[in-house]
Amino acid sequence: MSNFSSIAFYLPELLLVLTILAVIVVDLIPGLKRFNWIIALAGIVFTGVLLYGDSGVSESLYLGTIASDPFAYFFKWIFLIAGFFTILVSRHTHALRGADLPEYNALLLIVVFGLFLMASATNLVTVYLGMIETVSLPSYVLAGILKNDRKSNEASLKYVIFGAFSSGLMVYGFSWLYGLTGSMSLSGIQQGLAGVQEPLALYMAILLVLAGFGYKISMVPFHFWTPDVYEGSPTPITGFLSVAPKAAGFAILMRFFYSVFTTNSLTTIAGVDWLTLIALLSAVTMTFGNLIALQQENVKRMLAFSSIAHAGYMLMALSILSPDAIKAVMVYLTMYLFMNMGAFFMVIFAENQLNAHTLEDWKGLGRKAPFLGALMVILMMSLTGLPPSAGFVGKLYLFAVVIASKKFYWLAIVGVLNSVVSLFYYFRIVKAMWLFSPADPKPVKADSVIGLSILLFTIPALLLGIYWTPIINLIDKSIGF
Amino acid sequence: MAEVAFIIIAAITLASAFFVVFSSNLMYSGVALFFTLFGVAGLYVFLYADFLAATQIMVYVGGIMVLILFGIMLTNKIASTDLRQANRGRFMAGLSAFILFLLISAIAVTTQWHTGSPQFLDTTVAKLGMMILYQYLLPFEVASILLLAALIGAALLSRKK
Amino acid sequence: MYTDFAPILIFIFFALLLIGALFVLQNIISPKQNKGGDKLNTYECGEVPEGSAWVKFNIRFYVVALIFIIFDVEILFMFPWAVVFQKVGLLALVEMLIFLLILIVGYAYVWVKDDLSWVKMTVRYGRGRYAPLQKKGSDS
Repeated sequence: MSNFSSIAFYLPELLLVLTILAVIVVDLIPGLKRFNWIIALAGIVFTGVLLYGDSGVSESLYLGTIASDPFAYFFKWIFLIAGFFTILVSRHTHALRGADLPEYNALLLIVVFGLFLMASATNLVTVYLGMIETVSLPSYVLAGILKNDRKSNEASLKYVIFGAFSSGLMVYGFSWLYGLTGSMSLSGIQQGLAGVQEPLALYMAILLVLAGFGYKISMVPFHFWTPDVYEGSPTPITGFLSVAPKAAGFAILMRFFYSVFTTNSLTTIAGVDWLTLIALLSAVTMTFGNLIALQQENVKRMLAFSSIAHAGYMLMALSILSPDAIKAVMVYLTMYLFMNMGAFFMVIFAENQLNAHTLEDWKGLGRKAPFLGALMVILMMSLTGLPPSAGFVGKLYLFAVVIASKKFYWLAIVGVLNSVVSLFYYFRIVKAMWLFSPADPKPVKADSVIGLSILLFTIPALLLGIYWTPIINLIDKSIGF
Repeated sequence: MAEVAFIIIAAITLASAFFVVFSSNLMYSGVALFFTLFGVAGLYVFLYADFLAATQIMVYVGGIMVLILFGIMLTNKIASTDLRQANRGRFMAGLSAFILFLLISAIAVTTQWHTGSPQFLDTTVAKLGMMILYQYLLPFEVASILLLAALIGAALLSRKK
Repeated sequence: MYTDFAPILIFIFFALLLIGALFVLQNIISPKQNKGGDKLNTYECGEVPEGSAWVKFNIRFYVVALIFIIFDVEILFMFPWAVVFQKVGLLALVEMLIFLLILIVGYAYVWVKDDLSWVKMTVRYGRGRYAPLQKKGSDS
């Protein structure tokens, strides 16, 4: 579709850009400064309204550089929800008091815009621009926004170095793909690769491209930044980073690998078996994430390693080439959005009210705030994947795909063993919260916004475990790209 | 003639790149990087990427290089800092890097690359202009948002507080 | 297209040659004795330099250089645009205006946030129109 007529299908993104500009401009006008977060939130809400109008659209926009399709549509909702609540909660995070929140909001909106681009990119240029540049660059700043906090500085620095390195590898991989096919669009590359009989060069390209995507979803061995960045960043940003860019990373990974390295009849291209590679990486990723998480004392760090493990679970389904695998990953990401962000909101609550960072600090939290403590138990159950919770349904779909394909039985076994291991550390949090009596039994009350956010994210984490048909229906409609 | 020029430029690029890595004085490394970036611009010319070569000079040699030198000048005790690679596994690292290099070059050399029909290109600037106005209009406009993010982020982080 | 760049190469070649020739020349014609004392100073008949030239810079240079690079890149996009501007016409103007408008917001940002002002104007005591310049938190 031509540039001009594409605008009609690009309204949500355009509104997002206008919101970004408005947030920045409003910050410069002395009297209006305090409205910037309202503008940011309103911008996201209205973007959602416009986005709703895009449902069911399947068009290639801007001369094939991006696509507006059901697949991207689904992911855009995840980004909007994550972005909305991150901005909302950030205002009530004590650690962020005194930080430059207007810029923070603007940068966060730019990340959301980049994520939109990432989910819908169909050209190497937009993949790179959306993914590495527009998402990563503001994220580096957001991770280091607490300028006087050394951990935040460290987080930002490590994030930049790793990000730059892996994006360099990825672009190098793109150059291999371009060299093999002479095309920049994903469909063009797929057609070009069909005639290419160069498995070694293709392996090279796949490895290099995987380095870039793997970094975004924190897949082993590109995960090294994850614990330090997650620990050092302001907690709302950690929650956001652990969900939205990871979802976008999976979106681009699936789109890229299904539309480039897969033929139209769902076989790997040119006989290059990247599925085994993904299966191996998946097993290593989840095992590593879970085993290291066992030894963590810092709650944020533990959740960081657990997020590596979750990336491993989702990769498990990607080692199977079928539409069901995409569906399973999307189901899991939906569940993961609720349970993981909910858990991070709980961490914000603990930091705000008790300045609690380690498990030691969390002791007795459940008795001091029984309601939120109970919600946290549900979230932890869900992250472990115990029934009846959203996480269980997500894992059910993932394992079902792996077992149904009869290809990687061992992977399913590794996955189950890992879930058992994860039970230990998730329930260490629960144990610390409930089985110890607090030193100071005075009840603590959460900030109403944060408390409400935790509740709002826990309800789906429980409810979707009991009644998940609507989500499945939605995702069934969202698979095409 | 062109081959001789290419070899000289490539040699300058590589030699100065080695110096960047192995010099123990940060300032010398920084200045050596200047030659590396300049040499890369020369290599772009050999790839018929004239605009890219000019970009390389303008942004990297003219801008980034200055920034890097400022960055070095911002550190304490520039002259007396002795940078040594403290990594104990440097032999293994060097070996594996070398093997990787051999592997990549072997694959690159044996691969049948996609080649279009050979043609002598005129300057690429006008072509790029048409591309950013039509085919890659969206990435072009997104680039401005990216630059905006970079501007705000840079100002925010480097501002004294 | 190589040939377009040949003058640059020739220029670089002659520049190096000339510098080398000057070194050789001065080595030949300069007196061989009395190389010491003031002769080895940076400025033979000027200020005596003190300390190292490698001093710690003010961070403000860095901020300005960072902002410079952003606009440097912005200008780069305008070269190809300018070359085809006549051919494309109004559309090109609109597209570039959108591009610039977004960046001008960034420019306004750094301007209003005082990142561009080199001399940070502050006064210790001030009323009326000087009140905004009064140093915040200063002990007056």
